[in-house]
Amino acid sequence: MQRPEFDIQISKTGRVTVEVKGAPGPRCYELADLIKEIIGREEERRPTVEYYAPDSKVRIDAKVRDSSGG
Amino acid sequence: MSAVCILTPIVVASWPVLASAIFGAATSMGFTVRAESLHQEKRRKRQVETDIPNSEVVADALGRGERIVVQRGEVTVEFGRDERGACTVCVTGDQLSERELRKIGEDVAGRVVQQFAYHKLMTELKKRNYTVVEEQVLEDQSVHLRVRL
Repeated sequence: MQRPEFDIQISKTGRVTVEVKGAPGPRCYELADLIKEIIGREEERRPTVEYYAPDSKVRIDAKVRDSSGG
Repeated sequence: MSAVCILTPIVVASWPVLASAIFGAATSMGFTVRAESLHQEKRRKRQVETDIPNSEVVADALGRGERIVVQRGEVTVEFGRDERGACTVCVTGDQLSERELRKIGEDVAGRVVQQFAYHKLMTELKKRNYTVVEEQVLEDQSVHLRVRL
């Protein structure tokens, strides 16, 4: 399982952009809060696709039943 | 990718910490540190004053007299602290317009904030035993860090 990572960019004007990777679900918000505490004021936050990924893996088995009755 | 946050640094620090960020920023922009103050020069030259946004210099035993002066060509930048505690940036020069001087002041202030944010992040991340696996300065002068938890 991939370990969580921060991808941080500090612009020449001082603006900090943080991307939290490898932490699906609300866990990523906890990690983003950590950086916010260090830096200061949050201007914007947006989840990405992985935010909505489940924490555990789900396996789905599908069967097609022949309902022709023959 | 889970989430993206955009943050503005709140620059609250003692003067020595802020001075370190100022020296780092000024040096990277080609400024050199001057030992003397500017009082007489200011009266003769064009001058623009601004401050570092969201900044507060925490008062220490030395009081409000701290100043740092850096120079690049005929442009001089003086950093100080005003009555509110904000870090001020005063840009002086004679051959540039007020607009150009203001732009220099804003650029320098931005780089000071960048240095401050970088050092604060590095300190706090190392305290938490996180590993910086990649660090580089990009073409647009932004700093990129990749940190593994």
